[in-house]
Amino acid sequence: MTNDSDIIRRSRERPAAFAELYDKYARMIYRYAFRRAGESAAEDVMAGTFLAAFEGRDSFDHAWDDARPWLFGIATNLLRRHHRTEAKILKIIAKSSGRDAYTDSTEQIAEQLDAIATTSALALALCKLSPVDRECILLYAWADLTYEGIAQATNVPVGTVRSRMNRARRKLKDAAAALRNNTEEADHGRTQVTA
Amino acid sequence: MDELKLLRELRIEHPTVKESVINDGRAQLLQHIVSPGIKKNKRRSKTALRVSLMAAATFGLVTVLVGTNVVGLAGWRGAASAQAAEVLNNAAALTIKTVDPRVGPGQYLKVESTNLSLSTYGVQDTSGIVGSNDHVEWTDTEKRSLYVPANRDQEWVWERSGRVPTTFFGDKSKEVAYQQAKEQGESAQYLSAVNGAFYDSPSTFPSTKELAAYPRDPRMLLNKIYLENIGSGQSIDGQALVFIADLLRTGLVPADLRSALYKAAAMIPGVVVTENQATLDDQQGISIGRVETVSNFRQDIIIDPETGQLIGERQVTLEPLGSVPAGSTIGWTTIRTTVVDSAP
Repeated sequence: MTNDSDIIRRSRERPAAFAELYDKYARMIYRYAFRRAGESAAEDVMAGTFLAAFEGRDSFDHAWDDARPWLFGIATNLLRRHHRTEAKILKIIAKSSGRDAYTDSTEQIAEQLDAIATTSALALALCKLSPVDRECILLYAWADLTYEGIAQATNVPVGTVRSRMNRARRKLKDAAAALRNNTEEADHGRTQVTA
Repeated sequence: MDELKLLRELRIEHPTVKESVINDGRAQLLQHIVSPGIKKNKRRSKTALRVSLMAAATFGLVTVLVGTNVVGLAGWRGAASAQAAEVLNNAAALTIKTVDPRVGPGQYLKVESTNLSLSTYGVQDTSGIVGSNDHVEWTDTEKRSLYVPANRDQEWVWERSGRVPTTFFGDKSKEVAYQQAKEQGESAQYLSAVNGAFYDSPSTFPSTKELAAYPRDPRMLLNKIYLENIGSGQSIDGQALVFIADLLRTGLVPADLRSALYKAAAMIPGVVVTENQATLDDQQGISIGRVETVSNFRQDIIIDPETGQLIGERQVTLEPLGSVPAGSTIGWTTIRTTVVDSAP
């Protein structure tokens, strides 16, 4: 089976072959960029990633069969131009998530409220992460890269990826835990009132 | 719950990736490969600016709405014209009575679609004048058959015919279109992937869970669509109709949600009957659409008024796009769904 490295090698002789890489990964890059910075940025980042990748295909490390870390690395660089939009989206989600939630079951309302609060807390915590920590954890969670893949994408040693991941996970965990504590306190308060 | 699991489930996601966007990016790449240095035409940057301005305006509006606790945009800013609303609500009433064919164990839902899309290509002007490059446009057609197993976690199959040049604008267009097709070689594809995750990518098709989560109350549904599309497109109403058309054309939407989507479309300001006898891929129906005044673009959905069945959707440009005359259809999709016993 042809791997990404083969496609990139082939594109030296026959440049149009590079479009095979686009067909394989354009959607993946688009969805990642969309989640991070919205539709308008996603279109630019997706197109820009493959144009830059084509131009820089000689820099691809053929020790890797998989081009995803390389492509996500390029996309990550391009997404830095959209950091304001990303922050704005996360803040809007933190404020507005779930305001469209409607249901007629009390049990479902409770579940929805939990989901709304969790989404808000996570979006806010993501927004507060340093840019490199946020890139790292999102490449892991949304782009499904391995630690080694993230190291290649962001051009840092794997040890640095581990420490960034630990830091980011701890902060998100703290945000979720703070939410749980608040909820438990609130539940406790209600129990006392009804007792 | 694990924070990584929560993060993965954080819902900032658009359920489908538009094929027109993928096609546009592909055209840009191929154009660059063959003629490095030639930029996409100027129209694009103007559109991008318009989009970003509209996105900023939308963000502002949403912030105000959230800040003032106005939770929904549907229902109080006008609606579709009376005629369009009647067609859509009739179609909704017919659709809700429809029983979708049951996909039994081992069977597949087969979604056949014919898709037309616009291609743009930069060509070098041979007059020798520096910077005198031009663009040619044509449309391509692709037929696709998607086989969705009863158990969606199992293997899906997708047959794609590859793009076939179909309509040409100007003398050079045909020559360039066929040259491009030749350069790209065989483009038919047979794909298979569990859970619709083709191209080693997460599935771009709406999951049953996503579809089940959409409210069936039209006003709540439209509010959800508005909220999911914050910052997208050129206007919130235009984007809502595009979103509805995109979702319907997947062919995976169950009857009760299709019915609710029609009713939701009837509540979008600016939606009108655009053609009483519209023909799409040799099928006739009524066309309901909305003009996006920012870009002079119209999104239509075409419905068979006798059955309420969706025939397809189309996009029409109301201003010239390079060599494409105003009033041309620059993209359409028709769908047909059946249940079959096996996949190829």
